[in-house]
Amino acid sequence: MIEVKYFGAVAEKTKCEFEKLSFSEELSLQKLLQDLNGKYDFESLTFSVAVNQKIVSKASDYTLQTSDVVALLPPFAGG
Amino acid sequence: MKESSRYNRQTILPEIGEEGQQKLLKSKVLVIGAGGLGTAILPYLAGAGVGEIGIVDDDVIDVSNLHRQVIYKTSAVGKSKVEEAKLMISELNPEIKVNTFSEKLSGKNAISLFEKYDIIVDATDNISIKYLINDACLATDKPMVYGSIFRFQGQVSVFNYQNGPTYRCLYPDENSNALNCEDAGVIGISVGIIGMFQANEVLKMILGIGEVLSGKILVYNTLKNEQQKYDFDKSDAQNISRESFEEKYNKAEVEEISFESIFEEIDDDNVLFLDVRNEDELPKISLKNKVQIPLINLESEIEKLNKDQIFYVFCQSGIRSKIAVELLQKYQFKSAKSIAGGALTMKNILKEEKI
Repeated sequence: MIEVKYFGAVAEKTKCEFEKLSFSEELSLQKLLQDLNGKYDFESLTFSVAVNQKIVSKASDYTLQTSDVVALLPPFAGG
Repeated sequence: MKESSRYNRQTILPEIGEEGQQKLLKSKVLVIGAGGLGTAILPYLAGAGVGEIGIVDDDVIDVSNLHRQVIYKTSAVGKSKVEEAKLMISELNPEIKVNTFSEKLSGKNAISLFEKYDIIVDATDNISIKYLINDACLATDKPMVYGSIFRFQGQVSVFNYQNGPTYRCLYPDENSNALNCEDAGVIGISVGIIGMFQANEVLKMILGIGEVLSGKILVYNTLKNEQQKYDFDKSDAQNISRESFEEKYNKAEVEEISFESIFEEIDDDNVLFLDVRNEDELPKISLKNKVQIPLINLESEIEKLNKDQIFYVFCQSGIRSKIAVELLQKYQFKSAKSIAGGALTMKNILKEEKI
């Protein structure tokens, strides 16, 4: 089980601020992002990705571990 | 009024003291944007005794600003934000020097503005300006205090602090779109909280106390009272020098000019008409001060030309001449303009003049 947190405009798309996802086989960060994009259609939304409070490259070949927390952080523009 | 007691409640803090107060009074902070974030930040910098504050904003006060930009008065609707902010600051703390810039921040003014300050505060509501501020901070080696809002959430970070990570390290994709307050909606308290976090980072940097939010982004949710910090690293691909800043933002535009407007100058020996067409192209243009170097040969023959002369460049219709002017600008020619319409237009004017 992992937790995924959504912020800003990304949370508007997902209509939730976090969700818990279980996976049976090995799941890479890239595959998770692909799956989420398939599910929510992030389209042109830009965001950075953090794993356990640390921003990582979306292209990294990290394999998710049980109890990892992933966060999708889009830039905000208001001021 | 006893001025010596103005800062007493903060100088009795062991972290500040008289020494810290002197640091504050000697510091210079530039706040870009006098909207929701800026109007939250400014009174606290002024109150604390930041000695010199610059404010950049070309906007005027609109009644729809007042719910969150609470330093402004209803009677000031329609007036300049920077001037009203200056008025508020000078009433709060007349010891502060305030410089107002009622202009938009651009590639043209950013560097010269930033050079005069120690810390740059991003209180804007526009992503492309945030990249501009970031790049100008890199080019001038200044820290950037970032803040931004999406509805009930806000982000705060400090970029380029002691050569630390930058906005581009966090968000490398410049072509992102995100809603501003006008489009997404906001309440004053959210921008107030985030602006206050920014002012706090400014004071921490000046005083050298606490941990600056460098290499960390703080994300705050006002509805849930939740805050999270995320770490990020410096990516080496994101360096901006003065040269690359100028190249990116101030690529000289090619100026076009009509032949009529320079007709008086055709016999002026300071002027050189440069024909970049191939030699077999018609009509021929005969002018006293004219040379012909086809565009394709221009770069290899560029040393034959005098960079201090005034160049009017033409081709057949005014397209190749623009490319030629760009080339001359690249080689630091002092004055080069492209003649609109090229030889075809010039021939008509020359004919008329002869009659």
